[in-house]
Amino acid sequence: MARIELKNVEKAFGKVEVIKPLNLDIEDGEFVVFVGPSGCGKSTLLRLIAGLEDTTAGTIEIDGKDSTSMPPGKRGLAMVFQSYALYPHMTVRKNIAFPMRMAKIPRAEQKRRIESAAEVLNLTDYLDRRPGQLSGGQRQRVAIGRAIVREPSAFLFDEPLSNLDAALRVGMRMEITELHKRLETTMIYVTHDQVEAMTMADKIVVLHDGVIEQTGSPLELYNRPVNLFVAEFIGSPKMNIINGEQASGIDAYKIGIRPEHISISTQSGLWKATVGVAEHLGSDTFFHAKVEGMSDPITVRTDGNMQVDRGSTIYLSPDEQKVHRFDSQGIRI
Amino acid sequence: MIDNTSSFRVKKAFGVTMMLVLLFFAALPTVWVLIMSFREQAAIFEPIWESPLAVTLDNYRGIARSDFPKALLNSFICAGSSTLLAMIVGVPAGFALAKSRLSGKFYASWLLLLLRMAPPVGFVIPLFLLYVNAGLIDTYFGLIVAYMTLTLPLIVWSMWNSFAQVPDELIEAAIMDGATLGKAFMQVALPAARPGAVAAAILGFLIVWNDFFYALIITRSSTVTAPVAVMNFISYDSVDWGSIAVASIALTLPILPLMVIANRYIVQSLSGAVKG
Ligand SMILES: Nc1ncnc2c1ncn2[C@@H]1O[C@H](COP(=O)(O)OP(=O)(O)OP(=O)(O)O)[C@@H](O)[C@H]1O
Ligand SMILES: [Mg+2]
Repeated sequence: MARIELKNVEKAFGKVEVIKPLNLDIEDGEFVVFVGPSGCGKSTLLRLIAGLEDTTAGTIEIDGKDSTSMPPGKRGLAMVFQSYALYPHMTVRKNIAFPMRMAKIPRAEQKRRIESAAEVLNLTDYLDRRPGQLSGGQRQRVAIGRAIVREPSAFLFDEPLSNLDAALRVGMRMEITELHKRLETTMIYVTHDQVEAMTMADKIVVLHDGVIEQTGSPLELYNRPVNLFVAEFIGSPKMNIINGEQASGIDAYKIGIRPEHISISTQSGLWKATVGVAEHLGSDTFFHAKVEGMSDPITVRTDGNMQVDRGSTIYLSPDEQKVHRFDSQGIRI
Repeated sequence: MIDNTSSFRVKKAFGVTMMLVLLFFAALPTVWVLIMSFREQAAIFEPIWESPLAVTLDNYRGIARSDFPKALLNSFICAGSSTLLAMIVGVPAGFALAKSRLSGKFYASWLLLLLRMAPPVGFVIPLFLLYVNAGLIDTYFGLIVAYMTLTLPLIVWSMWNSFAQVPDELIEAAIMDGATLGKAFMQVALPAARPGAVAAAILGFLIVWNDFFYALIITRSSTVTAPVAVMNFISYDSVDWGSIAVASIALTLPILPLMVIANRYIVQSLSGAVKG
């Protein structure tokens, strides 16, 4: 169980400031996801918490104790790496036992924990194999097993699913969420996939160029993005960003409207548009439409059964309640 | 799929032929030495069909009675200890160089390369002068230390490369799991780099085993190593070819198993055996 507080934490590699001074509170038992584009500093921030990198400035408190210069092994955190980082020369059993062996936990207790972890993670039949003889999903589970047996006060995950195929990823996502519900341990999870962030997180931290753009629950970020970056980053497909007279008409520099908040009519509406390419997903259809007087096409969601022909004319009406307005700095109005 | 096109078969035949030619040239001297070792002294340069019965074990008996077995033992002691000591120092050094974020690493690599490429004469003359003054000529200690100038750079250099191939995350995982740096090194990094370590140790051993020059300068009598001892069979007026042949065999046989192991591990360490 751990509450983690970052106070004015900053990290520079040489002259490059990778993490600008930032503050962050992670509550006990919370599932926090760091999300952001590649190179924004997610891994670095996680590694600072882990102790694998030294902070350039600021303090990291774990459960109210200043842990800024505590060695990684003493912080009571477990980490799951993107490459799984399983010890290649050890069997699955020995891999899972390793942290307990380091902590000098009695043999019998080690055995008990290995068996219960193996059962939860469906690894019982593989305990005597080497990591090289396992599939990607199984390796991932071994890595998780190795993390849970030491009963850490928080788990750190660095893009743990990015080496798995799409189907397996959805399954593992559920398993990790399930694990969090069962253990109720703090988890910090790094990903660049906003779908993972939305589905798993209690709290999302959106990072961009070493700065926290916004912190909040998935729905807060979805409903009230504080700036253009977050607005565009969260949600799939992306929010439509519109400037020009449609924006200035409602006193904004730019406005944003999500594809799912635009209604369609063949008779009348606010914007007259020509239908472009359509993407049929079965449940939904997303199509691109060129609105008269707008430079970029916008994306619209409709029911999967609606037939819209390419080149036909339709009318689009954004839901006024759901229009996001931004000023010239990209800040929400 | 097996490629059975004729152009492939031609290429394959060519490859096999080339290998046979190579094998022939490699094997010829070996076979010759082997035959020589069983020939009577007088018949050594006669074609084998002229005196096929001039066969003897005298050469072997002579070697067994000579100082040569002692010299072989010296070779073992020197090659073994200088490799072992260099491993004890060099393996952790290679680890540190591969994994620390120190900035001066470039200079270290430069220095190591220099040490590896410099001709032995460059070391032997200063060492010789030093040893004469320090009374280290013809001592095991002096010889072993001298050989470490060969083995240590080799081992540091190749372990640096081996450890560089061990993913950082593996060591970080061990550290996160509560291992001290020492345990992460001994229990995770070193096993992962084991093929490289075995290959480095064997290569180090072989360099010393085959060395002639250092031993020639630094030894006198009691610590003479086998390659130098071979010279004793060459005297002013005659050369004892039969004994030299036996000595060559005695020098080669012990390292054959090492060659086989080294071959396996070098291939393994080149093909990245640390991949999970
Ligand atoms: N050891 C290092 N030395 C110098 N620069 C580094 C180091 N580690 C990371 N960086 C830089 O810091 C920035 C952030 O890196 P980081 O790995 O945290 O990004 P990330 O958000 O995890 O990206 P990704 O999604 O690609 O994993 C990058 O620009 C990277 O080049
Ligand atoms: Mg990363």
